Amino acid sequence: MLDNLGASLKDAVKKLAGKTVIDRAAVDELVRDLQRALLQADVNVKLVMQLSQAIKQRALDEEPPKGMGAREHVLRIVYQELVRLMGTPGAVTLGPQTILMAGLQGSGKTTTTAKLARFFQRKGLRVGVICADTFRPGAYDQLKTLCDRISVPCFGDPKEPDALKIVREGLPRFRKLYEVIIIDTQGRHALEEHLIEEIININEISHADHRWLVIDAALGQQASEQARRFHEAIGIDGVLVTKMDGTARGGGALSAVAETQSGIVFIGSGETIEDLERFNPDGFISRLLGMGDLKALVERAEEAV
Amino acid sequence: VRDREVLLEEKDIEEPLFELEMVLLENDVALPVTDEIIARMRKDLVGRHKKIGTSVDELVASTLRSALCGVLGDGLDLLDYVRENERPVRILFTGVNGTGKTTTVAKVGHYLQKNGFSVVIGAGDTFRAGAIEQIRTHADRLGIKVIQHQAGADPSAVLFDTVQYARAHNIDVVLADTAGRFHNRANLMNQLEKIRRVMKPDLVVYVDEAVAGNDAVIRADEFNRAVGTDAVVLTKADMDPKGGAAISIAHTVGKPILFLGTGQGYDDILPFSPRVVVDELLGDEA
Ligand SMILES: Nc1nc2c(ncn2[C@@H]2O[C@H](COP(=O)(O)OP(=O)(O)OP(=O)(O)O)[C@@H](O)[C@H]2O)c(=O)[nH]1
Ligand SMILES: Nc1nc2c(ncn2[C@@H]2O[C@H](COP(=O)(O)OP(=O)(O)OP(=O)(O)O)[C@@H](O)[C@H]2O)c(=O)[nH]1
Ligand SMILES: [Mg+2]
Ligand SMILES: [Mg+2]
Repeated sequence: MLDNLGASLKDAVKKLAGKTVIDRAAVDELVRDLQRALLQADVNVKLVMQLSQAIKQRALDEEPPKGMGAREHVLRIVYQELVRLMGTPGAVTLGPQTILMAGLQGSGKTTTTAKLARFFQRKGLRVGVICADTFRPGAYDQLKTLCDRISVPCFGDPKEPDALKIVREGLPRFRKLYEVIIIDTQGRHALEEHLIEEIININEISHADHRWLVIDAALGQQASEQARRFHEAIGIDGVLVTKMDGTARGGGALSAVAETQSGIVFIGSGETIEDLERFNPDGFISRLLGMGDLKALVERAEEAV
Repeated sequence: VRDREVLLEEKDIEEPLFELEMVLLENDVALPVTDEIIARMRKDLVGRHKKIGTSVDELVASTLRSALCGVLGDGLDLLDYVRENERPVRILFTGVNGTGKTTTVAKVGHYLQKNGFSVVIGAGDTFRAGAIEQIRTHADRLGIKVIQHQAGADPSAVLFDTVQYARAHNIDVVLADTAGRFHNRANLMNQLEKIRRVMKPDLVVYVDEAVAGNDAVIRADEFNRAVGTDAVVLTKADMDPKGGAAISIAHTVGKPILFLGTGQGYDDILPFSPRVVVDELLGDEA
């Protein structure tokens, strides 16, 4: 198991192995390596500092359960604190609903819209998609092509410049016919006031049940600020992390979770429509730390007690 | 003279170095790059003489400023490059998904036209849904000729044809768009390598975004190994003017930065200047 641990974290963990008394220097070293792993995973710098403080304090203050070694004690605390940071996985209901997609330019909204359509379709629901991106050249063609592949209807008009008009026309029509409606929107960022205004308006007229923020796994420290602004504008209630099939570790998504007080709903892991996975906190933690299954390790230690 | 100076010791610079380290990390300079910059600064600073009455913080900050300028280099003037090379100058754009390659191709096409050069675009992304329509719409608006095949066609063939077209029509510059791809997908990287062999670009321009975090280093390195990188464009600098990804990438591949992308308009492209980036990054801190 330990062979899968991230290299330096592994060394630090080894130093704690076999010890029965918690050694301050060894804890310091472990926490330092944990910090480095999380920073490299793009977790918000301030969050990392808070988290490592909390872990250090607990590791030194709390009495390990009888029979649990120092290493297991510290790893258990690391695991618990990371789970807390992860938030609760966003809920998915399998019934009628409208979902509004939001996010930065190029984050993966359109692709994920099609993936979600596929997800709900497989669950036996009637799904319709609305293309409210009237800005990006080829946006309608892109979404329409993806929807055609799974025979999901796509409402939109590449010649119409007003996104609100499309939503106003498409939504009542689609609500009569379909149970799940997903609205794709153009990319925008926190400093584009007129575009933030636009999505506020789309949210108002659509009365969306969910407003999901799409976050690229490679997004760095900006994740906090961007998520804060989107949340303030439309009240984000779930985060979708895309491009997890690359090498990025997705720590920016945790900043978004912290800012929006929501949770991660789905993970995008490829370019095809099928490449969508429900969020799994333990898998995500392994990815963040670049190490094997921390949960299994902790559970085994708990059983041994 | 000596008695009016002090020798800097490790303990004098620890605090200001820590603060600068935080500034770099909070602005997305990747951790290993930050480590190297800080380590080099520590080496440079310890044992240096400092005039009594000047502040350590200032000395540290100005050292960092010049270190960062050194990492970033002087950029590359595309207009000079086109003037000095044999036509058609062939430019291949690469990068991972969604960083802004296609938009950058359109912006660079517009920039070159404004400066008196003729341009043709090759629609080398035959894979992603809507990709051909996207580049076609941009080019139509800008009055630029596009060479395209059908969706699903071999991108090397499209880009080969684009170069042939440019030769036959005395076009100055070929801009080759490609599909976004991840560096850990061997077959897609091989396809890019084939494109490179077939169209023989003068410049391979790697496109990444200012808001990318630590992965910027990994993928810049992998693309550089797989197909080479001659210059870099950093997009979406309007989302995050501080974007330390510039430092991460320049440090990793050691190649000049051509442009910053600063928005979705055709004129939202800024020839690169290291000072501008360093000023944004360090702000009042230095
Ligand atoms: N490998 C991989 N690529 C993805 C994933 N999700 C999206 N992409 C790719 O990322 C790029 C951008 O995706 P889009 O869906 O167009 O992003 P968007 O947010 O709609 O972009 P704008 O509408 O321009 O803001 C495309 O090349 C997609 O194929 C993923 O999970 N994995
Ligand atoms: N704010 C901002 N948006 C940009 C910039 N450059 C590109 N974009 C937007 O980012 C999104 C993705 O850009 P594309 O040019 O399609 O990216 P790409 O790299 O070609 O994407 P794929 O071909 O799918 O890999 C689009 O919505 C662009 O309008 C920029 O400098 N600033
Ligand atoms: Mg889109
Ligand atoms: Mg493209």
